[in-house]
Amino acid sequence: MSHSAPAPMVVVIDDDYAMRLSCAKILTKMALRAEVFEDGARGLNGVATTKPDMVIVDLKMPGISGMEVISRVHEIDPQIVIVVITGYATIDTAVQAMKCGAYDFLPKPFSPDELRLIVNRGLERRRLALESQRHEIEQTMLKRRFVTFVSHQLRTPLAAVHQYLDVLKHLDQTGDGAARRQEWLGRCLTRIEELQELIADWLTLARVEGGSLFNERIKVDLNQIIAGILKSYEPTAAAENVSLEACLPDEGLFVPGDRNCLSVLFDNLITNGIKYNKPGGKVTISGSQSRGEVVVAVADTGIGIPEKYRPFLFEEFFRAKDDGAKRTAGTGLGLHICKRIVSEMGGTIDVESQAGAGSTFRVRLPAWREPDIVGSQKDAGQQANIDCR
Amino acid sequence: MCAKVLLIDDDVDFRVAVKSLLEGHGYTVLEAASGHEGLQKVVEHKPDAILLDIMMETTTEGYGVTHSLKCRDEFAEYRNTPIFMISSITENPDERFPMAAEVEMIRPDGYLTKPLDIPELLRVLEKTGGATKGAVV
Repeated sequence: MSHSAPAPMVVVIDDDYAMRLSCAKILTKMALRAEVFEDGARGLNGVATTKPDMVIVDLKMPGISGMEVISRVHEIDPQIVIVVITGYATIDTAVQAMKCGAYDFLPKPFSPDELRLIVNRGLERRRLALESQRHEIEQTMLKRRFVTFVSHQLRTPLAAVHQYLDVLKHLDQTGDGAARRQEWLGRCLTRIEELQELIADWLTLARVEGGSLFNERIKVDLNQIIAGILKSYEPTAAAENVSLEACLPDEGLFVPGDRNCLSVLFDNLITNGIKYNKPGGKVTISGSQSRGEVVVAVADTGIGIPEKYRPFLFEEFFRAKDDGAKRTAGTGLGLHICKRIVSEMGGTIDVESQAGAGSTFRVRLPAWREPDIVGSQKDAGQQANIDCR
Repeated sequence: MCAKVLLIDDDVDFRVAVKSLLEGHGYTVLEAASGHEGLQKVVEHKPDAILLDIMMETTTEGYGVTHSLKCRDEFAEYRNTPIFMISSITENPDERFPMAAEVEMIRPDGYLTKPLDIPELLRVLEKTGGATKGAVV
């Protein structure tokens, strides 16, 4: 507990003067705050004003019964821990009290040690209950913020498209504007495509988070995956005047994983390398394996990432501002997805970058290990031969 | 001369559409892509009304702009410029940013939902002086 928080407060309700007094003495010696009351009505008043962490109440009292005190205390705050003192240590009364919501019971006569034990246990329970309540509230708030944010991300492009079409419809009554119509319809299509991309990314993320993309951990050759991605991006890269180069070991780069996930991972990194490049630039993918670890680096000669943005780069929906450069379409989820995939696979991803000169994303994954029966003679410490193509 | 409307929104497409619409109805429309740029444009152009997106770089950026205009001394001259806050979130903005319900300093003159309902937008702007106001002066 932090030293600035007040000591836990315990309220004792008992019609027996000596009992009240001795409980208060012991509790105070435990560095707790204690308030004592002689009957149920005064006790409940006291609970309402002192907001205690714990209430110790005698079941047998004149006036409001102990049982009723239990339920009325919980009406004030259901998290208050209640311990009942039972004069006649019958299991029945104790069970009944617990059913009413009491946490535990102390049969008379009890020793100071028994009191201390039960008070400590009850306060610990209270602390845990409050902690989990706080955690729950935090989670709900986070979730709500996320929902608001996502619905904003989904609604904004729809609103833009809607506004274009609505204004077109409205203004077209006044004639002309064929060129404007063409341009706006083009923008609508672009916004819709971006929205589709966002939804696709979001679904991928949901699957990664749900773990459903990791059903399989088979031996996957990264060479093959990367080669396939590079081939499919040749036209895009050519259109952007960016060259693609691979520098991978001939004998392959094997990791245990899921083919789809690994495709998504390197697809995102390679697309970024092309997208955030400059005309005449290059994307180089190099890989190596040593000491049970596979390292793949995707390096571009593009616009780079200003240092101030780097800490947030892998956060969901984060997008670095282009600082006057061209506006690049993107969902802000790509690198977050990469990070999730890599960490699910027990690896790491990091970035080195120089603004204006390019970025290198480095993925480290555990290498594939042949099962022991086959023997691991090929495995350890063997530095892969690298053949640059 | 027509009434001037300042449109502060980080979505370029939304700005393009609304600008064309309002220009078609005789308004002069100024654009700003951020709250910061918006405040600069207020001082430069002294608009007659402001359409202000709530969620831009940050989730409550628009409220910061409203606060500046309604409370900060350097903007005292524009304290009475009507501000209409817009958002694609349809739920009550006061619920989304509960502080706004109680904190008078950041209350706009009205809320509008994206996409803007054209007749409603025109009606709202008309009420604040409308496109003819400038012509009268």
